[in-house]
Amino acid sequence: MLDLRIPTGFFFTLTGVILLFMAFFDPNAHAALTDANVNLYCGLSMVAFGAFLLTLAWRASRRHS
Amino acid sequence: MKLAPVDYFILFLYFAFVIGIGWRLRSKISTSGEFLTSGHSVPVWITSLAFLAANLGAQELVGMSGNGAKYGIMTAHFYWVGAVPAMIFVGLFMMPFYYGSRARSVPEYLKLRFDEKTRALNAFTFAGMTVFSSGISMYALGLLLHLVLGWDFTRSVLCSAAIVLVYTFLGGLTSAIYNEVLQFFLIVVGFSPLAILAVTKAGGWSGMSARLHTMTLPTGQAGDVMVHSWKYMAHTADNPLGIEVFGLVAGLGFVMSFGYWCTDFLVIQRAMAANSMSASRRTPIIAALPKMMMPFIVIVPGIAALALSQMNVGYSLPMKNGGPDYDQVLTTLMGQFYPAGMLGVGLTGLMASFMSGMAGNVTAFNTVWTYDIYQTHIRPGAPDHHYLMVGKITTFVGVGLSIATAYLAQHYNSINDLLQLVFSFVNAPLFGTFLLGMFWKRTTGHGAFCGLLSGTCAAAFTHGLTLAEGKGAWLANVHEFPSSMAQNFWIAIMAWTTCFVVTILVSLVTSPKPERELVGLVYGVTEIKHEREANWWARPVPIAIGIALLALFLNFYFA
Repeated sequence: MLDLRIPTGFFFTLTGVILLFMAFFDPNAHAALTDANVNLYCGLSMVAFGAFLLTLAWRASRRHS
Repeated sequence: MKLAPVDYFILFLYFAFVIGIGWRLRSKISTSGEFLTSGHSVPVWITSLAFLAANLGAQELVGMSGNGAKYGIMTAHFYWVGAVPAMIFVGLFMMPFYYGSRARSVPEYLKLRFDEKTRALNAFTFAGMTVFSSGISMYALGLLLHLVLGWDFTRSVLCSAAIVLVYTFLGGLTSAIYNEVLQFFLIVVGFSPLAILAVTKAGGWSGMSARLHTMTLPTGQAGDVMVHSWKYMAHTADNPLGIEVFGLVAGLGFVMSFGYWCTDFLVIQRAMAANSMSASRRTPIIAALPKMMMPFIVIVPGIAALALSQMNVGYSLPMKNGGPDYDQVLTTLMGQFYPAGMLGVGLTGLMASFMSGMAGNVTAFNTVWTYDIYQTHIRPGAPDHHYLMVGKITTFVGVGLSIATAYLAQHYNSINDLLQLVFSFVNAPLFGTFLLGMFWKRTTGHGAFCGLLSGTCAAAFTHGLTLAEGKGAWLANVHEFPSSMAQNFWIAIMAWTTCFVVTILVSLVTSPKPERELVGLVYGVTEIKHEREANWWARPVPIAIGIALLALFLNFYFA
């Protein structure tokens, strides 16, 4: 059966990288009510979450093989 | 609100992944069982998150954050009094029978336990309800996207329905369940930053409390009521919900929540797909943990929105026809806090919640239609590949009917109240039937059938005789409730009580099934196997105790 952690991990890593790209490309972009670089923090958390899922999946596949 | 190209890109990336997951799983489907019930093969962490996500539709996100701004932290009663105890109960006491009986659906359990007519009654009402719910949520989404982004109603409804159709058609229940997990994570990732940003801006919980303390709500109460879940529950006039402790605990906490979480095949189907009895019991219990945390993501931002609107920071509640438009609270907050990029993630989270709810309805409708209606009443005894084909065709029909209902739903304005009303007509009496059926071996098929029917009629009569917010009282106006919510809770109480009493009375004068036919279906004649996992903390009971204590703590903390 498909290990769901792989597509989910990839999705969040990719989306996180897109947000990080936005954060560096346009660091002053922010919505009306906040000055924080929302894309940077959210992007970092998403990349971390995606990498965590991929690591789990990688360790599980190593154990099986 | 205007989207940037990057926002659309994230949305399309998500579409590609959900369809990709369906595509990868399509080769696993060769029997009707694999398509409609996942062949009891899904790991417990996946079934748990799917159990939660199938219930977490767009109307939940949008409706609950609106309710946060309208009723305050009291809305959390839906989670901490309603859902959590019921989820623990179904895991500990009911899953052994659902899973152990090897029934493929909740109506099929009713057939095994009672008789064909009880199954048919439940199957038809349930099938109708799933189509209705998914249509309402589709309508809500289309309306919202039109209001917020200016997208065409018909086009956004058809496009999102088509994507759900593709991945459920390709991979059946397994694909729906797997995607529900991705969707659940996306909802959390997309909306928790909003909660953090909005609450921080409003000065944290204490800042919000201080701000709300000084204001007066449109309903006339002091704003302090927004940050206490129990303090103002003694009288209906003290809180904006218009409900008091008994109505809340009996109506919502007992009848409505247990009626939904313990008997609704939409969620039970996820637990039934688990790969072992123990996993199926742990599914709803583990799901209760993230469920308990949802108020911080969906309700608290709504309360923060109300506080922000009092603060002269440039935020005001969205308006419609001179009053606040609570259904737009969530999206306006997103527009005020998320820049291009994260806005795309938030919007994708909203689409994900809609799709998880809709796929839940479609897969449950599929199974009930194919097994409980088609295989039973229309064409029994056909080879399995025939039912696989029927299941696949039903996916199309289910989605089509939902789209039709979405257009019907345009007549109603408050989505959440309407859904609760539907559930109180159908689900509330059902829990009476299951409680008696599973725990009292004397209950008979005639008793169950008459109880269900009279319970549903009692629900309709209560609605016809009482008025709330201009709705109901189509027979006569005997009583007026302070809110629709209070009316729904009391409809549920009346329906459950009628069903319970009528089932007992009719059972006592009709003859029960012999005990040997009830093995595996009823307490007292079934041997419950003790869990034998290696670690005690991985067993259902210790997990349930931990979750219950945490729920108790939250109730006290926010009292």
